[in-house]
Amino acid sequence: MIPSTEAGWKVRLRNGNQMVAEGAAASGCRFFAGYPITPASGIYKGMIDNLQRRGDLAISSPDEISALAYCVGASMRGVKAMTATSGPGWALMIETLQYALMTETPLVIAVVQRLGPSTGGATQGAQGDILLTEYCTSGGYTVPVFTPSTAAECFELTVHAFSWSETLRTPVIILLDKEVAMTTESVDYTILHTPPVANRVVHHGARNGAAGGGGDRNGGGSTRMYDFTDIADVPPFIPVGGPLKVTATGSAHNKSGELRKNDPETLEMLRHLEEKILSRAAEMETIAADPQEGAGTLVLSFGITARAAREAVRKARAAGHATSFINLKTLFPVPEASLRTAASGVDRVVIAEENMHGQYRGVIRHLFPGADVRGVNRVGSMITPDEILGAIV
Amino acid sequence: MTDRGTVRGQATTGRDGTTPQGVTTFMAESCSLPFCKGCGHGHVLRKLNDAMVRLRLDPSKVSLVTDIGCIGLADSLFSLPHTVHTTHGRSTAFATGIELADAVLADSRLKTIVMIGDGGAMIGLLHLVNAALLNVDVTVILCNNYLFGMTGGQNSAFSPLDFITSTTPRGNMIPPLDVCGLMTGSNAGFVARKLATDPDLGDTIADAIAHPGFSMVEVVELCTEFGARRNRLSGTVLRGIVESHGQSLGVLTSGTARGEFGTVYSGKFPPNGEKAGGRGDGFILRKFNATLDRRFGIVIGGSAGEKVQSAAATLCEAAAMSGLHSSQKNDNPVTQGTGFSLAEVCLDPSVVEYTGIDSPDAVIVASDAGAAQLTAGGIFGRCRPDTLVVCDADVRIPDSPGTIVRPALRKTFGPTRAALGALAFALGRLGLFPSSAFIEAIRRRDADLAGMIEGKAGKLASPEDTSSTP
Ligand code: SF4
Ligand SMILES: [Mg+2]
Repeated sequence: MIPSTEAGWKVRLRNGNQMVAEGAAASGCRFFAGYPITPASGIYKGMIDNLQRRGDLAISSPDEISALAYCVGASMRGVKAMTATSGPGWALMIETLQYALMTETPLVIAVVQRLGPSTGGATQGAQGDILLTEYCTSGGYTVPVFTPSTAAECFELTVHAFSWSETLRTPVIILLDKEVAMTTESVDYTILHTPPVANRVVHHGARNGAAGGGGDRNGGGSTRMYDFTDIADVPPFIPVGGPLKVTATGSAHNKSGELRKNDPETLEMLRHLEEKILSRAAEMETIAADPQEGAGTLVLSFGITARAAREAVRKARAAGHATSFINLKTLFPVPEASLRTAASGVDRVVIAEENMHGQYRGVIRHLFPGADVRGVNRVGSMITPDEILGAIV
Repeated sequence: MTDRGTVRGQATTGRDGTTPQGVTTFMAESCSLPFCKGCGHGHVLRKLNDAMVRLRLDPSKVSLVTDIGCIGLADSLFSLPHTVHTTHGRSTAFATGIELADAVLADSRLKTIVMIGDGGAMIGLLHLVNAALLNVDVTVILCNNYLFGMTGGQNSAFSPLDFITSTTPRGNMIPPLDVCGLMTGSNAGFVARKLATDPDLGDTIADAIAHPGFSMVEVVELCTEFGARRNRLSGTVLRGIVESHGQSLGVLTSGTARGEFGTVYSGKFPPNGEKAGGRGDGFILRKFNATLDRRFGIVIGGSAGEKVQSAAATLCEAAAMSGLHSSQKNDNPVTQGTGFSLAEVCLDPSVVEYTGIDSPDAVIVASDAGAAQLTAGGIFGRCRPDTLVVCDADVRIPDSPGTIVRPALRKTFGPTRAALGALAFALGRLGLFPSSAFIEAIRRRDADLAGMIEGKAGKLASPEDTSSTP
């Protein structure tokens, strides 16, 4: 059999980590700070290779806290920034991630899952950090999380992550798993999808606070740090070192960036952090849906498990079981409307993920009232197509 | 003392046309200090303000990065420079990121000043060390009042011996850190320890800011609320406390031959270098036609250092030259240069979905270590009768339903080429795609090697052997 050549055939053998690095470079990322950790070290190495020869900055840091703090500082100076880590390093980054969210500083973090808890298994795959990445903020604010299932999707979703990070002015996570990150596969560049590259909108106002000598402190008609009208607006960005004064703090603050307690504007700022993201949930959602007419079962999966699921669905269909399938790609914000629509008419929803209890199933099962929601879960090795098939038929 | 008018990276006229000469203060005009009566912080901040005014810094080119604690309130008192109030201990790391980007990716005109206390310096000590090692253009003003003021007077790593704090009620038992010594040992170019009451404190702060590269000034002061009364201290005894711990006062290190980080980096990696993100080269194009019409799983086991995984990569490359998709998973012990080395390759005319190999279509065994690992993984038991097992003639493997062939791989090809030779041999029998594709994939890296493999694989004696032991 001769494989199809209509689409062209320009192939590289690449793993997911390498494709994240390529996606970052294609996004205009100019700053990377890294600390080695299996299975994410390949992104670090890829960024060293991709950025340094351009004259852009890729650098080692002494720990993961520094890595992310460097990224925040660089992003505040006005450049697209990224770091990469795995579970143990992610645990160290959580305080700084919250700072980026609170100060509306865009950046992308690639978290490559491995077996946990603790050091767990550095070279063993897992999808056990779904909740740890999403619910990492005091207050439970939404952090967009995208999950690639192939090396090609690593490229696509990294570009997507950067674009939404810049558009929303918020940290975005691209959540890989070891199997996707470290498995080398043939990537056909003739069909590699590059989503639109977005750049942050920068504020071009008069220098705030300068003319009146401290006018900014009283908000007296000068440009405000977070200059927006509607609560869901994304305020234009003010870089450190530019003509407009930056007033940034990780403490609760008003639109001028000044530390405040419970005044109405400060509380509005907190709701704004969430609203600017949730109001664009449908726009940023990127799911790969493969519906089947008259399906009785909907299969949902993501990351490496989505590939086993696709095989299982193929087998189920061949055996006469009408089955719909979605490779989620977007975990958060939860693509609620799409999931409800996809599930309408089915009486069973199968959710496959490589973790103990079905972390994502716990998050979305309420969307399927009345359906028989089944989890396919496993710890320590990949879920097989047959295991998923068993839950479908 | 530095010439105040020539701070590197700072123009006398701001980008927006403001004249820094006209700036008489960087602080808010109606600024009332939030600190307790007698606290040293306010004094230090006024000296910092004086220094910035005298240096004629362009306010839009100054970022003031503050830590947590009483001194962390400083940002709200400065109305002109950029202010970034950060998390506990991490201020220097955020400042490092700002300066790294400014030096390498922007105009390198920014001056970044960190205000941190002894508590913040303790939890974020590594950030100070690393900023000094990097030699980024960050000035750290470390306000050391021997304790945590804002949280109620707890001891820190800077508390003197016998110091009474709320958490050392009978006196501190642990000697204080000599942070200036640590900074000197971290190659900092400018290190000073001053008392808050020193009349020339402003000059030292100005010199630290003007220094091109990392600088730190430790300012020893008193927390009047928690430090002074309990220890019956006044400002005049601070000098004695410092000296009693063998620590020196004054400018301890000044001037360095070392270049600031941005200069060093851009020397190695000039700005606006290669534009390509690596997307323009190295594509594998299709030159051969595959005959494989289904998914095919090959497991290769050998020893670390014997090029097992690179042989598997060559296989994938040849498959791609034949229009086949592939996936390759590698496994080896965490200490990567010893023990076994495994590769699992799936070939498929369509995209490879599930990358696991439950029942292999072919198994290559190139060494004892590889055999042992494959045995532990139960691979041989999962073979089918049509599974081709190519095992070195001298390597032991358990019973298997597969079709076992035992050529003298290691003797024929040499240990580091045994896996590659075995694949060439196996591909000749399997006919997944033309053997010439595999030879060409080897030739891309090493023409001589391709000739050797092609010659020897073709002539290799291949005794059929269904028994598992040699
Ligand atoms: S508690 Fe201590 S450090 Fe804080 S303001 Fe009062 S005197 Fe100063
Ligand atoms: Mg203190």
